[in-house]
Amino acid sequence: MNRISTFIPRTPYYFQLALLALFLFGALSVIGAMLSDGLYPLASALSAITVFLTLIFIRRRFTPLRWLSIGIALALLFTLYPLLYTVYLSVTNMGSGHLMTKQQSISRLEAQTYLAEGGQSYQWAAFRSNEGASYALWLTPTEGDSFLALPGQSAESVSVEIGELDEGGIPVSIAGYERMPMNQVVPLITQLSALDFGEPPNTVRIRSLREAAALQPKYQYDADLDAIIDQETGEVYRPVEGTFTSEEGVGLPIGFIEYVGLRQFEGFLGNAGFRDPLASMLIWNINFALASVFFSFVVGLIVTLLFENLPGKNIIRALLIIPWPIPVLISILIWRSMLNPDLGFVAPVLESIFGSSPAWFQDPFWTRFAVIMVNVWLSYPYFYVISAGAIRSIPSEIYDAAIVDGASGWSKLYHITLPLLLRILMPLLIASFTFNFNNFNVIYLFNFGNPPMANTIVPMGHTDILISFVYRLAFITSNVTNYGLAAAITVMLFLLVSAMVILQMRFTKIFKEVE
Amino acid sequence: MNNVQNLSASREDRARLPMPGKIAGLAFRYVIAIVLVLFAVIPALWVVSASLNPAKSLIGGTFFPRNPGIINYQELLSNPFFPYATWFLNSLKIASITTVLTVFLTCLSGYTLSRFRFAGRRGLMMTILILNVFPSILAMVAIFSMLQQIGLYISWLGLDTHAALIFIYVTGSMGINVLLVKAYVDSIPLELDESALVDGATHWQTFRHIILPIMTPIVITVGVLTFIAAYGDFVIARVLLRSSENLTVMVGLQLFQTDRFDQDFGMITAGAVLAAIPIILIYIPLQRYVIDGLTAGAVKG
Repeated sequence: MNRISTFIPRTPYYFQLALLALFLFGALSVIGAMLSDGLYPLASALSAITVFLTLIFIRRRFTPLRWLSIGIALALLFTLYPLLYTVYLSVTNMGSGHLMTKQQSISRLEAQTYLAEGGQSYQWAAFRSNEGASYALWLTPTEGDSFLALPGQSAESVSVEIGELDEGGIPVSIAGYERMPMNQVVPLITQLSALDFGEPPNTVRIRSLREAAALQPKYQYDADLDAIIDQETGEVYRPVEGTFTSEEGVGLPIGFIEYVGLRQFEGFLGNAGFRDPLASMLIWNINFALASVFFSFVVGLIVTLLFENLPGKNIIRALLIIPWPIPVLISILIWRSMLNPDLGFVAPVLESIFGSSPAWFQDPFWTRFAVIMVNVWLSYPYFYVISAGAIRSIPSEIYDAAIVDGASGWSKLYHITLPLLLRILMPLLIASFTFNFNNFNVIYLFNFGNPPMANTIVPMGHTDILISFVYRLAFITSNVTNYGLAAAITVMLFLLVSAMVILQMRFTKIFKEVE
Repeated sequence: MNNVQNLSASREDRARLPMPGKIAGLAFRYVIAIVLVLFAVIPALWVVSASLNPAKSLIGGTFFPRNPGIINYQELLSNPFFPYATWFLNSLKIASITTVLTVFLTCLSGYTLSRFRFAGRRGLMMTILILNVFPSILAMVAIFSMLQQIGLYISWLGLDTHAALIFIYVTGSMGINVLLVKAYVDSIPLELDESALVDGATHWQTFRHIILPIMTPIVITVGVLTFIAAYGDFVIARVLLRSSENLTVMVGLQLFQTDRFDQDFGMITAGAVLAAIPIILIYIPLQRYVIDGLTAGAVKG
């Protein structure tokens, strides 16, 4: 008890206020920048978190919440917001060509330049850095002062020591650079004239051996018209479904995220070519989860029942739990190599017994068989441990009564042990089903969801489950990514998972325990 | 809570199971035991044996290497294209920081939820339970896009940063663990706090010097489970991390494997064995906490 008297410094109040001010300054400047770029969902989430933290800090009534504030703030941003943001993405067209907000895509387009006919022109002299890796231009306009231009740097920010000028108005020396004589420039002219000197959009490009010219912004956004105007051709591009499009229907490559209503959902629910393979994927997904739970539970139960009072049980038990601590990725890597026809030992063994070995990674049936087998290997130790615990919790008086009634071993198992076990373990079995329903690791790591299905609109695999298909859509299918569609399928997954949880709640009292 | 107590109760009791009691029955049970033990053990033995096999190709795949050696391990650690040692240290760093943060936040939150009464407390716990149902992996597209956007303004918290990965892990493992800790603190008699508070201690002192020491078992459970989960994660790290020197050992191994399975099989199995070692080192002495945590956690969740 005497340890309590440890000195704890009290933070002065003004120090706390300064911290709060610093926090608010940081948060507001980030939120402000996000708002001006049009990132409204993220900016609102951060605003809500900022208001929440500030309220907790300044209102005495919320003092207990201070202890929880960091945890709640993190959970709001990294758990709750992504769920809501998924729902938002599912009603947008986010994907290839539509990756940023309208404001962001406008500023990207406005940074593009072109070499205008009437632009400011310069005489130039080229310099090469001593390492030879970069170039600089000494530019002399028809009127005004000469200056040095480096790629990617504004003229004002160049801080290179420049020596005296010679009679042609060109520096005799520039620190770190060397003048390039004409005979060196000529062979490199194609390379040099591809470079933009200066900071975009104020850049200069070499036009000929004598002349360099200022580049001009190619696109300008007109807020009144809500259109992008091409400064070179005068073409007007108006926003159509997230793409700036001309009268002739030509779209600019940098589009933006736009609300598209339920189109993503119609994309896979309203199209038989998409819906039917997706339905069979859902059936396999359910079967995979059911089979994984069922067989893991059965193996775990067999181990529990058969070995509970077997001589040597401790060593058997220790050996049987071996798969448990091995990280999943490593376990699956091991199985992949064991079943690999060239590297593993399974194929030669099976061939010597049966004369042939299944195509574990190509044949739809055997791949499905293999992922379930691997998953059983990974998860039966867990079921063993929980069912052993559950069996010990069954009061022995129940068995005494049964023995008095003359029950045999099998009928005790069938009429007493199993029903009681199922009752105790039902919430765990449902939780395990929900977990396996989204068991991305086993599916993806074993065979990437392959073998591929034939003739589908988007690539799908015979062992793909919904979550691995979402991953495929968002991160694998390289040429056209459609985050909106991936999010829409995720929203369907949310609904399925919610249904499972409601089912689980009926079998368990956890929600009542929250008093 | 009932189930948790039941599961761990009466360890000493020998369950009365149907027992054939005959020699044939015993032999039958040993046969099944041997089959299952082989099923459990062979993959683990096989990977160790493959990692010790110096032969470049394993055509036919002999189970026991003819002249075992550690050359695969040496080549792995000096491989210029796959910085295995960097990945390994990244994983240890990320999992350790995640564990420390998670333990700190869950203990503080669990204590608060157990000992304080305030408006919204019930709603908060309900929300934790509901959010916990949706694992981070379900929202991976949104997390990816969100971090891409955050990274434009806060570069250390964007894609391809360890900070972002750690925060995702911490929030992912906080939910259920907060409720576990809360249930544990509930079981600590309130008189302990009260006597300290009467003696003039602040809430923080009471927590730090009275409650926290009693919480050691649940702290170990939460810590071990968090470390194992963060160290073993693949998909979140795969989605977030881009550059080779930032990868975790799980992502690195997976990429190495997809790229060079046939050519560098020995090195890859050596990498797999090395990557499993930290978890096994933690698991063996702390097995009891893992089992308690997983069974209790599953009963609760």
